[in-house]
Amino acid sequence: MANIAEQRIRREFKEVVKSDEVAACNIKVELVNDTYTHLRGEIMGPPDTPYEGGRFQLEIKIPETYPFNPPLVKFLTKIWHPNISSVTGAICLDILKDQWAAAMTLRTVLLSLQALLAAAEPDDPQDAVVAQQYKEHPEIFRRTALHWTSVFAKGPKKDKELEDKVASLINMGFEEHQARVALSTNQWDLTRAAEYCLS
Amino acid sequence: MKRQLSDPASDGSDVSEDMEDDDEYAHYYYDNTDDLDIDKPKKSDDPEYFEYTILQVEDAERLLNEEIEALCSALKVPPSLAKMLLHIHDWQRELIIEKYQQDAEGLLVESNINSEKKALVNDKDTLTGSNPACPVCADNYPRDKFLGLTCGHSFCPNCWDMHFRVQIQQGVTMGIECMGQKCKVLVPESFLYSVLTDSKLRDKFSKLCFKDLIQGHPKLRFCPGPNCSVIIFAKEPRAKKVECSLCKSTYCFKCGIEYHAPTDCDVIKKWLTKCADDSETANYISAHTKDCPKCHVCIEKNGGCNHMQCSKCKFDFCWMCLGDWKSHGSEYYECSRYKENPNIANESVHVQAREALKKYLFYFERWENHAKSLQLEEQTLQKITSRIQAKVMENEGTWIDWQYLLNAAALLKKCRYTLQYTYPYAYYMDKGGRKQLFEYQQAQLEAEVENLSWKVERAEITDRGDLENQMDIAEKRRQTLLKDFLEV
Repeated sequence: MANIAEQRIRREFKEVVKSDEVAACNIKVELVNDTYTHLRGEIMGPPDTPYEGGRFQLEIKIPETYPFNPPLVKFLTKIWHPNISSVTGAICLDILKDQWAAAMTLRTVLLSLQALLAAAEPDDPQDAVVAQQYKEHPEIFRRTALHWTSVFAKGPKKDKELEDKVASLINMGFEEHQARVALSTNQWDLTRAAEYCLS
Repeated sequence: MKRQLSDPASDGSDVSEDMEDDDEYAHYYYDNTDDLDIDKPKKSDDPEYFEYTILQVEDAERLLNEEIEALCSALKVPPSLAKMLLHIHDWQRELIIEKYQQDAEGLLVESNINSEKKALVNDKDTLTGSNPACPVCADNYPRDKFLGLTCGHSFCPNCWDMHFRVQIQQGVTMGIECMGQKCKVLVPESFLYSVLTDSKLRDKFSKLCFKDLIQGHPKLRFCPGPNCSVIIFAKEPRAKKVECSLCKSTYCFKCGIEYHAPTDCDVIKKWLTKCADDSETANYISAHTKDCPKCHVCIEKNGGCNHMQCSKCKFDFCWMCLGDWKSHGSEYYECSRYKENPNIANESVHVQAREALKKYLFYFERWENHAKSLQLEEQTLQKITSRIQAKVMENEGTWIDWQYLLNAAALLKKCRYTLQYTYPYAYYMDKGGRKQLFEYQQAQLEAEVENLSWKVERAEITDRGDLENQMDIAEKRRQTLLKDFLEV
């Protein structure tokens, strides 16, 4: 069984490396070790989204029963998105679960993830906090996602106001990531975020 | 037993006498035989009447096969296809036949058995060369080795075999799909058997398949009792009580959980989830606490005074309007007048939450209380049994003479059980005349159940006639309520 998996990954590797998307720096796959069971993927944030310009690293694990079962994929780069856990990077996407088909490839997975970044499904959330913000405060959501992209995914657009808020919480003695999560979760209200850190 | 009690004695005896006297009328009376059969509740009168049979696995298999064969011969299709059609369309044979005769291809496409014409691909054409690579395993095979379904996606036999292995291991049977990307076409059993060689897996597939078919069949259900393997068959599936003759468990035919008349399956599920759920804790917090308007810490009001001081930031505020207390003083009630104050809106949310909690607790307490009473009355039943034993030993009547006490205890249990399940029903009812009627009948039933319980507990000083009369009244109340509110 493992033989099929390895053979497939070898071939897919060629496919992704050769494809046009790689030429355009849209998607990338590389080996982590030489067993073909553990890969590192990368996707570019799609244009006209808060993720634009960001580079998102993915952990890809190939199960022994691949391609009859889907690869296990999660985000290594922190991201603010309703269908991706802001804590663990776990992804809620149908083709990574019951809609997987053996004829699908790593390339289709990466392209689907890119499409997910462009079109979130807030009614089928992985991260309830983010999904609620997406629905109730779309503008705050957009700014938060943009901010996370610039901080974690080398995104180009910085938001001075939000960074200042994080800095002021850090000055109050909180750890940076904790401060950022608290502010993101509390619609960037400093007082509430401080409360959140303390509770 | 119940019938014996609730039937006026004259009814039965008159009829049987007539029948013996005059054969001519026998036919007339047999037409209304429901009245005569003492063991079976009357169809027309008993709102809980439910006809079902208990099948062994082999019987159920035979039943399924008969249905499959009937469709095969009606449509002239192979059994494997008939089976899929029946499973997908909830075993509605007439509907399938009608649709098939109107538009066979359309039905097959709708059922994901055939692929849509326009979506048809021919992978054999896209496979290049005389020795193409399988899109799944990337191995090369001669072109004629490739296999596929009506959608045209072709893969090598090894990959199909592996696909089936993985799917069966994961418990998928009737729903195994083609391996093609976004292809929903289902794999027919005949195709699977032609590829899958491992006999153990073939066995496993057929067993799982049977389970899948029974679970999808509206008239059949596995007995949910522990380690019970029988299958219940009901001609007209309803949310009614089934008692398994083998494992003795009782449950609702439709949803398989404990019988719940007069509440229906969806409502009882909602109720049980609500009772189990912690969300009521959240509701409690919302109802009994507010956030400090200054530092947002959660504050519980534990006294009557509305002048609050936050224990954390020492801010003085009014519990009613959440405004600064300084502005209150002598003109306390002013705070309720500031309607435009957004805090009033918050206040109403709190009030709503508190009201919701109060309502829920009202029904929940009664529900719980009857559940507890049922347990206690189980002990009473045991006491009665041992007391009867003692009396028989002391030659105070025979075992049969005291049976009515056991009957009374059993009836009490039945009535209280229904009473318990009226509370979730009432909780989800909309306000109005119907609810008033329901609550009236519920109160009537409750009163009679408590009377009966009182008399059963004091059976020795209660006159037998009195007790039996009480049993009759309680059961009548139960029947009346079910007749009016049990949706059949």
